[in-house]
Amino acid sequence: MSSPNPVSTCLPASGSNINKAQLPENALVLAPTRQLQSLLTIIRDEKTQRGDFVFTSDRIIRLLVEEGLNHLPVIDKKVITPTGKEYDGVAFQGRICGVSIMRAGEAMEAGLRDCCRSVRIGKILIQRDEETAQPKLFYAKLPDDIAQRFVLLLDPMLATGGSCIKAIEVLLDHGVQEEKILFLNLIASPEGINKVCTRFPKLRIITAWVDEGLDSNSYIVPGLGDFGDRYFL
Amino acid sequence: MATHNPAHLHPRPALQARKSLPSSKNMVMAFHGRAPWYAPDGKNVEAYVVGIAGGSASGKTSVARAILSALNYVPTVLILSQDSFYCAHTPEEIELAFNNDLDLDHPNSIDTPLFVKCLLDLKHGRATEIPVYSFVHHQRMPEKKYIYGASVIIVEGIMALQSPELRALYDLKVFVNCDSDLMLARRIKRDVQERGRDVEGILDQYLRFVKSSYDNFVQPSSRYADIIVPGSSNHLAIELLVTHVKRQLDARSLRFRRMLAEANDEELNSRSSLLLDGDEQDRKVVLLEQTNQLLGIMTILRDRTTNRGEFIFHADRLSTIIVEKALTLIPCEPKTVRTPMGIDYTGVARDDRLVGVSILRSGGPFSHGLRRVIRDVPIGAMLIQSDPRTGEPLLLKSDLPYCVKSQEQSGEVKVLLLDSQMGTGAAAMMAIRVLLDHGIKESHVIFLTYLITRAAIHSVHRAFPCVQIVTAAIDPGLDEMHIPYNATSLLVGQSSGEADFAVRVVDDIAEQPHVAANGEEADDGHVDPREALKTEKELSAEKFRVPVKKGTEELKFSREHRRDQSSNGEKRAWVISPGK
Repeated sequence: MSSPNPVSTCLPASGSNINKAQLPENALVLAPTRQLQSLLTIIRDEKTQRGDFVFTSDRIIRLLVEEGLNHLPVIDKKVITPTGKEYDGVAFQGRICGVSIMRAGEAMEAGLRDCCRSVRIGKILIQRDEETAQPKLFYAKLPDDIAQRFVLLLDPMLATGGSCIKAIEVLLDHGVQEEKILFLNLIASPEGINKVCTRFPKLRIITAWVDEGLDSNSYIVPGLGDFGDRYFL
Repeated sequence: MATHNPAHLHPRPALQARKSLPSSKNMVMAFHGRAPWYAPDGKNVEAYVVGIAGGSASGKTSVARAILSALNYVPTVLILSQDSFYCAHTPEEIELAFNNDLDLDHPNSIDTPLFVKCLLDLKHGRATEIPVYSFVHHQRMPEKKYIYGASVIIVEGIMALQSPELRALYDLKVFVNCDSDLMLARRIKRDVQERGRDVEGILDQYLRFVKSSYDNFVQPSSRYADIIVPGSSNHLAIELLVTHVKRQLDARSLRFRRMLAEANDEELNSRSSLLLDGDEQDRKVVLLEQTNQLLGIMTILRDRTTNRGEFIFHADRLSTIIVEKALTLIPCEPKTVRTPMGIDYTGVARDDRLVGVSILRSGGPFSHGLRRVIRDVPIGAMLIQSDPRTGEPLLLKSDLPYCVKSQEQSGEVKVLLLDSQMGTGAAAMMAIRVLLDHGIKESHVIFLTYLITRAAIHSVHRAFPCVQIVTAAIDPGLDEMHIPYNATSLLVGQSSGEADFAVRVVDDIAEQPHVAANGEEADDGHVDPREALKTEKELSAEKFRVPVKKGTEELKFSREHRRDQSSNGEKRAWVISPGK
């Protein structure tokens, strides 16, 4: 699980995102606009205070949620405008729910609710079992009819992919179809993204940025530290 | 000539400073909104400048104010006093001034280059900052006074006709002539009451400086005057003056909206391909990617059965998407930071000289979206409404951020201009013109909107080709409709639809006999923008013909007509059509 390359203290300029050809087909990365880069620069900076960290990561989360929602199907709908004209539009199908992986994933719930006011949100708590070093499910509270819904799975950091895979297994156990799961993620490691995508080829990952890799402690580098700690504690 | 000190710049004037300003002779009077002061090509029409000179206390200010009140139909008249432009003094000069030994009546005591610069700015319609001079402190004060937007400028001062550079800027030069003893009597009274001086000092100063200055400089400058007005009992002279000014202004008045429509019509005929194939080859228009979510939101916004809560929620959500898109157009600088992992990361940082300006009322929904994206962004506002009588856009108020108002900073500021939709582009052009008048670069303006018509894109880009536009949807054109109309509610700025900006009134061309015919056209739902514009042209031709038949003045006719029509409860309006 440790990084194959020793990590230098100064990485080359991260002007562009990872080459998309290296990513699995079911992994989508936000367009690496300068605006997105400037947001990531703020949340990566260790000097950034919590207020700016929360505000800025909320902005990226909102971009992620908007992009994620775009992958939901819509149905054609004709409406009449106030000017009396017909307009060929589309309607949302609804039938979605959010599931956050505690605790960092909870930071993404507000962003989801900003875009879908009445969305149902479930929670999953997964922690590393100290004896086996494997991720273990501690708690899951999910909507009853989750099997009929599209699920937006929320976790800001995808490092080794262990807890993410565990969470997806929990969803599948509850009857959710794999192709109806969208995993929304802020920063991913190439290792994590490959591992999850290979294991679940029908699921889709939407991430804002793919970083260089993992260090010997399985932390993402250059990363931004512990997202949950910086957001909540 | 003392140069003015740039260290006076304050990004944000203290509130107290405003109160402590000495009562100024400078004043701006605004009677109602300001009609377009620029041609459809976006170029400013020069303001009309009157220069009034005369001896100290000869009654220049009273003449200026008399003209001002007689011109009460002109939206904005500015009186600019030479008193503001006394040079900044050295400490030695200030000491002299307190001993009444400083000669303020010599032409050299006026900061003529600055005076000329400010007047030139104002004449060309640009915003300017004039210095503030205090007679109590005998010094130019650190703050400056921001002035913008006058159609008529009256410059008054003893040396107003002295400098050839200033004289070149006047459209009309006036000299106020008054008897010396009357001027002295008035001067003593004024200086004791308003400037806190004693009689002996005033008389001493009068003999040493004022009288010689009047004889040597002021009186001789009267030969440059177009007209000499007596300093008292001058009602008849002022009446003559005002009649002249009115005639000059009428000759310049613009029927802006009509010119815009006609210009568009010509363009459409000559370059129809550009509009008809909907070619956004012009990269200055950024259309949001038409994703499923965007189409879904637009469907909800366009649906007339959508309730207000849904409408507001989705308009707000969309505003955030549009603002995020617009921000990708803002350049960034490289920046290296250290992550909590102890690793250096080379990222970028956004240029923070960014402000938002919303065109009220309908630009309001955007400001929430903008604040969600940039917490501390300054947001200015402009209230632009269309005049129910002429259909022209009127600038009722502009409240701009300090960095826009400051001439030193505005060149670098980037502006996100916010309006929910753009129909004819008239309000947008006015707002852009205001920004350019403040020294904002055209390429630094990004216009954000939910919905725009091709005609509006065309109008705006013909005048301001470098303005970028970010929009969620482009509709083919405008249709005319008649919608329930209440004259009084329109006057206080309530267009018919609150939640439905799709029926926001963007024009108002009422002609009773045509309402029925036009309603049919709207039902037919034609999509060609040329059709819509042609109809207006035909209409305006009709409109011109009718008054001639009746032998009535056009403006008067249309006003009376409006009154009849409002009782009818319907008005003609331009509405953006989705093109079905």
